[in-house]
Amino acid sequence: MKVLVAGEKPEQVITTANYAKSLNPAQVVAAAFKPFTENELAMLGGAGVEKLIHIPEKYLASGAAASAAALAELVKKLDPALVLIYASKKGVEICGRLAQRLDAAYASEAFAVEKGEKGFVAKRLVLGGGYVATVSLNSKPALASVKVSASETSQGMKPAVEEFDPGIDAPAVEVLETIKPEKTRVDLEKASLIVSVGRGFKKKEDLSLAEELAKLIGAEIGCSRPISGDLKWLEEERHIGLSGKRVRPNLYIALGISGQVQHLVGMRDSKTVIAVNIDPNAPMATESDYYFVADLYKILPLTIEILKKKLGS
Amino acid sequence: MGTYRMMSRTMPDIVVCVKQTVDVYQLKPHPETLAPQLSQAQWKNSDFDLNAVEEAVRIKEKSGGKVVVVSVGPEVKQLLVRECLAMGADEAYILSDPSLAQADGAATAKALAAVIKTASPKWDIILCGEASLDQNAYQTGPRLAEIFNVPHVSYVNKLEVGDRVLKAWRAVEDGVEVVSCSLPAVVTVGLEINTPRLPSLLMIRAAQKKPLKELSLNDVGLTKDDLMPRAETLEVKALKTERRRQVFEGKVEELAEKLAERIIAHMGGRR
Repeated sequence: MKVLVAGEKPEQVITTANYAKSLNPAQVVAAAFKPFTENELAMLGGAGVEKLIHIPEKYLASGAAASAAALAELVKKLDPALVLIYASKKGVEICGRLAQRLDAAYASEAFAVEKGEKGFVAKRLVLGGGYVATVSLNSKPALASVKVSASETSQGMKPAVEEFDPGIDAPAVEVLETIKPEKTRVDLEKASLIVSVGRGFKKKEDLSLAEELAKLIGAEIGCSRPISGDLKWLEEERHIGLSGKRVRPNLYIALGISGQVQHLVGMRDSKTVIAVNIDPNAPMATESDYYFVADLYKILPLTIEILKKKLGS
Repeated sequence: MGTYRMMSRTMPDIVVCVKQTVDVYQLKPHPETLAPQLSQAQWKNSDFDLNAVEEAVRIKEKSGGKVVVVSVGPEVKQLLVRECLAMGADEAYILSDPSLAQADGAATAKALAAVIKTASPKWDIILCGEASLDQNAYQTGPRLAEIFNVPHVSYVNKLEVGDRVLKAWRAVEDGVEVVSCSLPAVVTVGLEINTPRLPSLLMIRAAQKKPLKELSLNDVGLTKDDLMPRAETLEVKALKTERRRQVFEGKVEELAEKLAERIIAHMGGRR
């Protein structure tokens, strides 16, 4: 069985290749649009990849149509049983077009792919993130965009690198400008402590209460979608949930978050969950280890004072 | 900027794809089987698709043109389609067929494309929600663009339509990409692009008179075989989380004390 793995960025290709190992494939070939460093090549080798096929970056730069067209040509040439593409936002849109082009069975944003009786079986979150759908992919190739986290990585024999330019045309989208986020990047996926804020806060200035608590215990700040989306009080990269980050800290403190399924899917893997909410019946109550029914504006200043004393700062 | 400014002469024909889904916010799993209890669920227009309708109506208000709503599914409800017409869409075409209950992204896109080819073949822009409330698959927009062999822009949170061209701001992991492409094109939008309007009573009444046409598979040149899913859902089960579920209520001073204790107990080593 041959597996083709691909992704927008080198580290995503490496993550996907490491994930593909769990399927015990006979051969893993990687495809990428961006150049790999020597170290990244060694990591790709460590993931069991024998060959890296480099597709010119111009395809990625002209949008999902061109990227999918180029990948489709490669799939036809290699004839893999399974194609796994890392589910970055661009990866997902490329995979959608690729599946349509190849008329292949496709599962998007799968968190697991397994060998089934007939073909491959993918698991993905549906119905707001509160449910798992098991989807059978009975075509060759089968396609999945995968939202998987990096398992143990190791260095190995560097794979051979081949160039592949199919010389194919596709409808283009021109990137005029990329506006980078203003603030320094936060890596919520790797944070061990997260203080997360929701609609229980009435004004943007009031988030200072959460920020003070976070600073005191050394936590990162996260939020539910309305805070970064509709209200824009925090940057999008702090958004935890179905369309945002999936986090797995040791301790997750949810402040004023009611616990819509779309948020829960982003924090469900937290080791311990403490929540503060004024509504005793909010869904977050059953998703918490410790649920405090209280007014944020009253309990937080008191808690901060107590923590200051106990932590000696 | 000049080329992208709204120009009255563009008058784009806009198709908006709207999916009707169960209201996942109200959905409860069966206590034993953990399967979603779909028969008891309410139906609604998928959230992001209403953002797409709103955006289409805003473009029409600035540039003129026409907004056509298209909805496909096992049993499309006219009442919900009328909501989109009340928001300002001009006409609607729906395709109901029981075979679409098992539809995957491929079948959905095929059905939508067939309806669009029949109902509004000379479209300039197809607008979709970036993903649906129930499947969250992010497939419809890119697949439609592939079927029609046109460019698409996903995850759009700001859109400007110019003369045979569009400019869009799209949110990806690295920031906001400002992109441009020629029309016709497919655009998918998220929650951030706008706030869908709540139609007034007057608009709701006016919507009753707008054309809403039911099409059959035969009308759009499809057979049931065409709508066989490539990806087949075997099972859907609720996720179970194991939590202690200890609830603390009472005087805030005591609660603050307990909250501080719990935080210290679970925060790991001090900084």
